Amino acid sequence: MIYLIYLIIFGFFLTALIGLFASWVDRKVTARVQYRVGPPVLQPLIDLVKLLGKETMVPKGASKFSFLAAPLLGLGSVILVSTILWFNCLNPQRTFIGDIIVVVYLLVLPSLSIIIGGFASANPLASIGSSREMKLVLSYELPFLLAILVPVIQGGFTLRLGEILTYQVQNGVILGSWSGFLAFLVILMCVQAKLALVPFDIPEAETEIVGGPLIEYSGTPLAVYKLMKNMLLFVLPFFIMILFMGGFRLSGAHWINGILKYLGLVALITVIRNTNPRVRIDQAMRFFWGPMTILAMMAVFLALKGL
Amino acid sequence: MSLFQEYFRFDNLSIFVGIFVWFFSILVTVYSMGYMRSEKRTPQYYLYIGLTLIASLGAVFANNLILFMVFWGFLGLLLYLLIGFGKNENTPATAKKAFILIGGTDVLMLLGISLVWKLTGLFEMDLISIPLTSKLAVIAYLCLAAGAFAKAGAMPFHTWVPDAAEDSPAPVTAYLPASLDKLLGIYFLARISLEMFRLDSGMNTFLMFIGSLTIVAAVMMALIQHDFKRLLGYHAVSQVGYMVLGIGTGNPIGIAGGLFHMLNHAIYKSCLFFSAGSVEKQAKTTNLDSLGGLAKYMPVTFVTFLIAAFAISGIPPFNGFVSKWMVYQGILETAKTGGKLWVVWLISAMFGSALTLASFMKLLQAVFLGQPAQGRKLAAKKENREVGILMWLPGVILAFLCLIFGIFALAVPLKHFIFPVILEPIRFFGFWSAGLATILLIISIVIGLLIYFLGRVAKLRQTDPFIGGEDLKNNPQMRISGTEFYNTVQEIGILKIIYRLAAKKIFDIYEVSSKITFGFNRALSYLHNGVLSTYLAWCLLGMGILFYLLLR
Repeated sequence: MIYLIYLIIFGFFLTALIGLFASWVDRKVTARVQYRVGPPVLQPLIDLVKLLGKETMVPKGASKFSFLAAPLLGLGSVILVSTILWFNCLNPQRTFIGDIIVVVYLLVLPSLSIIIGGFASANPLASIGSSREMKLVLSYELPFLLAILVPVIQGGFTLRLGEILTYQVQNGVILGSWSGFLAFLVILMCVQAKLALVPFDIPEAETEIVGGPLIEYSGTPLAVYKLMKNMLLFVLPFFIMILFMGGFRLSGAHWINGILKYLGLVALITVIRNTNPRVRIDQAMRFFWGPMTILAMMAVFLALKGL
Repeated sequence: MSLFQEYFRFDNLSIFVGIFVWFFSILVTVYSMGYMRSEKRTPQYYLYIGLTLIASLGAVFANNLILFMVFWGFLGLLLYLLIGFGKNENTPATAKKAFILIGGTDVLMLLGISLVWKLTGLFEMDLISIPLTSKLAVIAYLCLAAGAFAKAGAMPFHTWVPDAAEDSPAPVTAYLPASLDKLLGIYFLARISLEMFRLDSGMNTFLMFIGSLTIVAAVMMALIQHDFKRLLGYHAVSQVGYMVLGIGTGNPIGIAGGLFHMLNHAIYKSCLFFSAGSVEKQAKTTNLDSLGGLAKYMPVTFVTFLIAAFAISGIPPFNGFVSKWMVYQGILETAKTGGKLWVVWLISAMFGSALTLASFMKLLQAVFLGQPAQGRKLAAKKENREVGILMWLPGVILAFLCLIFGIFALAVPLKHFIFPVILEPIRFFGFWSAGLATILLIISIVIGLLIYFLGRVAKLRQTDPFIGGEDLKNNPQMRISGTEFYNTVQEIGILKIIYRLAAKKIFDIYEVSSKITFGFNRALSYLHNGVLSTYLAWCLLGMGILFYLLLR
């Protein structure tokens, strides 16, 4: 029962709220960079409500079931990941072995839901977008896994998020070590790609394939996808915070520290997105399988040496 | 009775494998009744299926190595005969290839058995326990392992599996390479690795190397295939890697993971081959370029395929996730005893999983979703397009098992089948409770459904797809079949060279050895070119040498 409360309060409502707020921060900063005024705080929420009121259209020849079920799969998995992460942060002792693996696998599901939704649209542009999304997943997954190994090694070969958090409470944040710093750089790039933000917004690429997998989505399913993306904007930085920056604690003044860390990460992601052009998918693959993987391997090597 | 007990043995491992040999035989028979209905030579077909069942049970329960070898040899022959039921152009060559590869490794196994006899003087499996200290013991182990690898389809003896998958009927592939051969091969590997030989860390590392190599290399090949069944065949190779890796870790949780993966693999891979067979039956082809958009017409096949695809990619809460998780945990256990190579094993296993997912997304687009191919023939009536109950029921049962074995992993399969096999106790506290996670996932999806309800999704409107203003009906060439998705991967750096070499079959042990054999033949064939004067010259030469030797 306690899990249910966690799921509804932390996993869904709080995450959705923070995610919507973060997407406002993102839009506002982008607007200021481009000398625009930017939207008011409630704009992301208003957008969602507006989409809920719009008509839902399904393309002819599409598999209706897969088309409508895909957004639910993505949203559900994000809620579940968020619940696991919150539970870990607030009760580091009461977690299960291997929750890192569960989180890593569940974090693939949002991409998977976008891919399946795109394929189900029976639209060539959506198919192209989905195939790019899949290739992007393949490219960042390798350095992403390697980078996650660094906290795993430093925490004493544990596959438990709670133990990594406890380790950081006792020994200082993992970001402070050389290996941790390198791995952090790598994972930041991977998160940028996981969020499909510029320079890795190749799957959506509005200017060439008109939104890719999302091209046929409208009304409520689109709202669910938007909500999922906004929630990911919270969940992924939160995951980095747990792995590298000591997580989020409610005791004492730590919570202000936690909020600052989170806002810093979001600002960093936004700055990267606003100062780079979009790359091609093969360039992204070369980037992730080349320099990023080598950097991540160096980080793992340093971590094994104890640095 | 005593004679029976002398030659056969019923312990937890063999009973567990035996139960599933029966299970898959029944399912395949049911499926075959639908699939092979209009084929010729069906009595022979069912005879061979039955004989395969008997031979497999014999091999599983045999305790005497010679007796085991006899049953094992029969299985190779039956595989040859069953592949022969395929109707492709290449079927005879494929059957021959499988027979030669398996027969060749059977010879190695005989050599291994004779070495075991030389070392111990025993043929009883349960009495043998050889430490890997002498060179002879290492050679004996490797010879026996080669047989297990060839049967299960691990590298480097894997090449018959994709060919057989493409050229034999789908139920045969689901029966032998996908389920029974995996069960038997890994069963024998477990027998020799856990009981008959006492492995040292060097041999464990070797096994883990073979496992990791098999996972990554085979799944990379799967990415670029153009045939539904052949692609699945490469996955049948790739997944063996996880089992070998699990057994190679040498610690209880890794071994349990490897054995559990063997069971899970047999379940979802049979399900996948069943759905491939159903697609083939209805669409008359397995070429990915000429399929597409079948989800609307074959909903049951689509859903079973989707569940099995999620399971093989290790998506929680399906069964593949649990066994892969156990293998990862096993690999991490080896890290605690020192050694740096575990990073390589762990990354290749986890990344292999992502690659598996990628190739199944390609299948999903090319076969079930996406746009239908031009000029595809389907039955005229819409309700005739799904296959009959005999063909979809086995798939549904297996998909259901994927779910049950994932959610209730600890309560059902692990407790009853896997843990009794591992004699050492397994520390398993704090295992992720898949049941709870599933409930939470369902609730999360319900939240999404509530949002759908708020937005009144039920009122749908159908529209034409939007292609930037183009008209899809007048431009049928605007279709993404999905086969070209991973061409980008083929063009990157060193992969380009590897793929090119693979296309030349440099990594195919069968092709390479046949080239060597025929190379010798060619050298010798210069002696027999049929020209009389050459023969005369050889005769004179020989006579000259003879005279010299006799008269000097």
